[in-house]
Formats: sequence, structure tokens, C-alpha cells
Amino acid sequence: MSYPAYVSNVSYCYDGSFRGFLCCVFESYAHRELPAAIQPPQEGQTSLFGSREIATRADRAARVAAGLHRLGAEIQACVTSGFLADEPGKDLILLRFLRCCFENGTAAAQMLARPEIAEALALARRVDNESHKYIEFLRFEQRGEMLGTVIHPRHRILPLLRGHFCSRLPEEDFMIFDATHGLAMLRKDKTVRYLQMQHYAPAPDAEEENWQALWIRFFRALAIKERRNERCQRTHAPKRYWQDMCEMQAQKRTTQPPGDVL
Amino acid sequence: MDLAEKLEILADSAKYDVACTSSGVERPGRAGQLGSCRAPGICHAFTPDGRCVSLLKVLLTNCCSYDCSYCVNRRTQQRPRASFDPRELAELTIGFYRRNYIEGLFLSSAVAGSPDATMERMIETLRILRQEYRFRGYIHAKAIPGADPLLVERLGLLADRLSVNIELPSEASLNRLAPDKGKAAILRPMGQIARQSAASRRDLAVYRHAPAFAPAGQSTQMIIGATPETDRHILRLSESLYKKYALKRVFYSAYLPVVADERLPALSVQPPLLREHRLYQADWLLRYYHFSAEELLSPEQPNFDPYLDPKCSWALANPEYFPVEVNTAPRPVLLRVPGIGPKSALRIVQARRSQRLGMPELKRMGVVLKRAQYFITCSGRAPALRAARQEVAAALIDPKAFGVGVRQLSLDDFCAVPLPDSAPRVQALAAAGVEARRAAEQTRREAIECLTRRM
Ligand code: SF4
Repeated sequence: MSYPAYVSNVSYCYDGSFRGFLCCVFESYAHRELPAAIQPPQEGQTSLFGSREIATRADRAARVAAGLHRLGAEIQACVTSGFLADEPGKDLILLRFLRCCFENGTAAAQMLARPEIAEALALARRVDNESHKYIEFLRFEQRGEMLGTVIHPRHRILPLLRGHFCSRLPEEDFMIFDATHGLAMLRKDKTVRYLQMQHYAPAPDAEEENWQALWIRFFRALAIKERRNERCQRTHAPKRYWQDMCEMQAQKRTTQPPGDVL
Repeated sequence: MDLAEKLEILADSAKYDVACTSSGVERPGRAGQLGSCRAPGICHAFTPDGRCVSLLKVLLTNCCSYDCSYCVNRRTQQRPRASFDPRELAELTIGFYRRNYIEGLFLSSAVAGSPDATMERMIETLRILRQEYRFRGYIHAKAIPGADPLLVERLGLLADRLSVNIELPSEASLNRLAPDKGKAAILRPMGQIARQSAASRRDLAVYRHAPAFAPAGQSTQMIIGATPETDRHILRLSESLYKKYALKRVFYSAYLPVVADERLPALSVQPPLLREHRLYQADWLLRYYHFSAEELLSPEQPNFDPYLDPKCSWALANPEYFPVEVNTAPRPVLLRVPGIGPKSALRIVQARRSQRLGMPELKRMGVVLKRAQYFITCSGRAPALRAARQEVAAALIDPKAFGVGVRQLSLDDFCAVPLPDSAPRVQALAAAGVEARRAAEQTRREAIECLTRRM
């Protein structure tokens, strides 16, 4: 533990918002302590120790945000991506990271051998990698005037997809529904909104099915049987993404013909 | 013929062209248009052979007037023929692009009639995409050898990347196997593209709105294993192409016998996939690690070791270069350590500014030490000082050469087979009836023994 003097056994409970998290950072400085845990509401109260409610206050959040801003783009990006992680313990990792960064200034971004830094960067990388996979693998369907898709990410990556798809499709309306977290990103008339949603099931019409069939036919035509190596395919496109890729659903449906190297 | 059938035929005809990347140009979207480009490129799918699908890669037509002997589309080959109408192909590209299936179009074509007539139709397709659909996504177009330079210029103003395939690694091979194409017909457009692309970059630096000519540069491809050239010959050729024509990429394609011809390897010959892999690794060393072809291969040792990656081979042949001290060695020196790539080297250089690095720190930073540990010291201490030579050999050898997969014979009957990119020796043993896993294990043992003796 890097701040032995500060370690306390209280755990912070906050509302799960980013501003709420910044208030936890504030609290940690105000009390000169490092909590044993930081718990967003969904994580349940399993701590053996006392817990403290941390209220979300705009003024405190703004002070921490201003400090974070001064640390530079790299550190900010790490905190934003890391915060989108859906992993227990992510808040504490980010708090330790931020304390180390505030102590060392912008140079902290390069102190890669420090455990607090390495851990947070690895956390952010897991989230960024997943968002990149969805930039590659999500498949839109045309539904009426709009493009729509359902994805099943581990982390709450929708905000990381926003910039890319708005830039790629500047004139289109589209919706990306994160079924894991019940959250949708809707872009309509050039503005983006996030919506809580339980259910969204695009059902392709005949024309859309025709587009998918064309794509699947193209995809199949590309395989070179002498080079067949599905292990290699799986390392690049891990199986957990397949449910969101129409051509992989098709590959799975056609029961493998004998002779495949798996 | 319906569109789906055409698409299948023309994708099938194009698939032996291995280049499929959308890299080299960063172009954010713009209101009123469709699409954007990201500099590192984006893959959208992976085929069952593990290759990336980034672009809609098709031929405009596969009806060819030429007769290159290694090609499935040659005039004298019996196979289904089809052609896209430029407008139909543009519409297909847009439909796929909007659905996030692809990053753009890779358009190539057989020579239908004359090179000029073929190029005109390709240009028309790109014009529809760029001007009518206002498409800002990626376009890679293949210039047809022998076409008018003015047409190459028009193509380059519409495409992001141009390529001219050098096809075979030497003029003699070219004359023998592709009699309709001369070396000059291939190199002329390459030179033109290099010149115009450089000129356009200069103009762009001065006037922001100057027309961009192939902003993602040019690439080429050659077929490996159809002809007798050595790895050294091939790598030196690539090196000179990078220098002379400022190529962005050279692609290597393991020759896959698709036609029976006495000038070519027999149809039963396996494509040399491991060799192709080694060439890509070495190519990488040329472009990102400041190696030269001469350092990697010599007249006495003109081919790569199937069991070691080229950097490892080089390190073993140059022991005086090691060990490298991670706390002080400059970045180019770190880059020469087996197992340390550009990312790790950068991380090491950054991290050591604030503290000394030992093994736990390197591990924490995500530096992979499996091979690197035998070539480095941390503050003077060698992490794997007492390792037995045999253990070192086992750690250095490339597991890819011994890959074994499973073949499904029927619903519940499986058997082991060597992966297509395992070492030729493993495949030969397996073909002679040795069980695949035993064949791989035996080859591995022999390779380790041989390497231990050499160290
Ligand atoms: S020109 Fe040669 S390589 Fe190209 S399609 Fe025709 S036969 Fe094949």
C-alpha cells in the first residue's frame, strides 16, 4: 500500500455518477485518508467496515475537475475511460491513480512502473480496447429512417463510440443500444442523447435481410480454404463479440463442414 | 445474373490479393458527406483463415484478356465470369459502409479489353462514389500496368491508396510466368505514383485545398514460393522498393497453387505460410526497427530459420550486442532486444525517468519478458543468468512453427492436424503418417537440440 499513513477502513458510498466520484476524491483529500473501498450504488454494501455517504456537490466536483484538467489530456483520458469500466474496485483504482497524479503533476503519466499508475492505465486500456472492438464489429441495421444496433459490451463504452460514429455518419440518425447496461445512445437531428432503456430489438425487414445476405455471401467468398485457421480468427475476433456480428452468427449456424481446422 | 452471385464471383476472384488495410490517412467526417478515415485503419471482420476484412475487396470484372500463368482469372482458365456496373458497385459500397461492414472499397480489375478501357471504368466507379455519394471513406485502387499515365493520375486523385503489384520477385520470373506484363510496365506507374504523391504532399503543405493525390501512399504485393528466389533476394527487393518508391507497404502472398502448369509448383504443394510470416516479421524490422536486409540475411544464410523469428536469429548471431541494460540503453538499442517492440521500448524510456527499473517494474508495465529476459540486465543484474542453454533455446523458439489444430471428421470424431502455418517439417511428418501432436513435439525437440548446439 503506497499511502500507509492514510489508510482508513471506512468505505465511501456515492451515487455512481462521475461528479459523485470526483466528490469522493475531494473527501479523500479533506480527510487525509484512503478509504478501504468506494462503492457505487449497484455494488451493494458488502463492506465489513463502516461506510460513509458521500454527497454529490457541484462545487466540490468542479474543484477536482479543474485540478484534473490541469494534469493534461493523457491523464484525463485515463480517468474517463477507467470510470466507464464495469468492474468492482475501479473507483478505488482511479482514486489511488489520481492521488499519485496530483502528487507528481503531468509527469505522472509516464511513471509507468508505479503500481498506482500501471493499474489504472491497464484498467483504461481494457475499456478502450473493448470500445475499439465495437467500432470494428458492431453492425447497423436500417430501421425506417434510422440505423440501429444492439451490442453487449462488458463496460459502459457508449460515450467512447460517440465521436467516431458521429464523425463517420454525419448526416445519419442512429441508435446504439447497450443491452448489458440498459443504456442507449440516440443521435437524432445531429444531437446525441443517452436514454435508459430496457429493451430494443431491431427486426430486419426484407430489404435489410437482403443486405445482410449480401454481406454474408461476400464474407464467405473471402475465406481461403488452404489457409483455414479458426484459432487465429478467434484471437482477432473473440467469441464474445460474435453475437453482435451477423456474419459470425451465420458462420455458427451453418454447422461446420468436416475438414475445418478449429 | 443477380447481384449476390456477381459479388461472390468477383470477391472470390479478388481474394488472393492479400492487402486489405484502410491505413495511412486520417480524415474526420464532414457535414453533408458520408464517412471518415482513421490513420491506423480499422478491421471490420476476420475470415476463418484469420485475415482482416477492412474493405470491400472485389474486381470490377474478372474477364481477362491476359494470360498470367499463376492467376485464377487468366484468359485460358475455365471459371465463372462476371462484371460490375460502376453504379451498382458504388451503391453496394455505400450500403455496406453505412452498416459498418467495411471502411471503404478496394477496387482492382482484370484487364478487360485494354488497360486504358479498364481504368476508365474503375475511374467512373470512384467518381460516382466521391462526387455523387460524397463518400469520404477509404478507397484503395489498383493501377493496371500499361495504362496511360493520365488515367493513373485521375485514379490517384480519387483514391487514398494506389497499388501496382510487382507480382514476382524478379524479372526473369516475370518474363517466364507473366509474359503480357513487363517489368517496365509495372515500374513505370510505380515511379509516377511516387512522384505525384510527393508533389501533392508538397502542394498540400502550401495550399490547404490542393487536390490530394493518393494521400495514403502506394503499396505493392509479390507472390512468394512460385519461383526460386531466396528470402534475402526478396527482402533486399522490398528494401529498395521502400527507398526508391517510398512505398507504404510491401505485401507478401504465399503462392497457393490454383492452376496446373509445368512452370509452377504442383497443385499438391502447400502454400509456404510460415515463410510468408517470417517475411512479414522481417519487413516489420525494416520499417519500424531500423534493421537492414543485409543484417538479417547473408549470402551464406540466405533464408530465414523456420523455428526462430528473424529478430531472435539476428540476436543469436550477434551475441556481442548483448546484454542490454534497460535503465540506460537508448531506444534504438532496446528495440533490438527480442521480445521488446516499439511500445515496450517507449514505455521503458518513459518509466525510467522517474525510477530505476527491475524485473517487477518491467512486468507491471506489461513488457513481455519470456524472450527478453535472456538479453537484458536490470541495474547490472541479469535476470536469467543461470539459465541452462537448453532452457533458453526452448524459450526462444517460435511456438507458431509447431501449431496443431483439430479437424472435425464427423459430428463427434475429431483428429489433430498441423495448422496451415506450422513448419514444413511438421507437415511432412504428419503427411507421412505420424500423429500430428507427436510430429509437432518431435520437430520441436529437434529444433531445440539443434539450437542448443548452435548457442
Ligand atoms: S492481368 Fe494477369 S494477374 Fe491480372 S487478372 Fe489478368 S491474368 Fe490475372
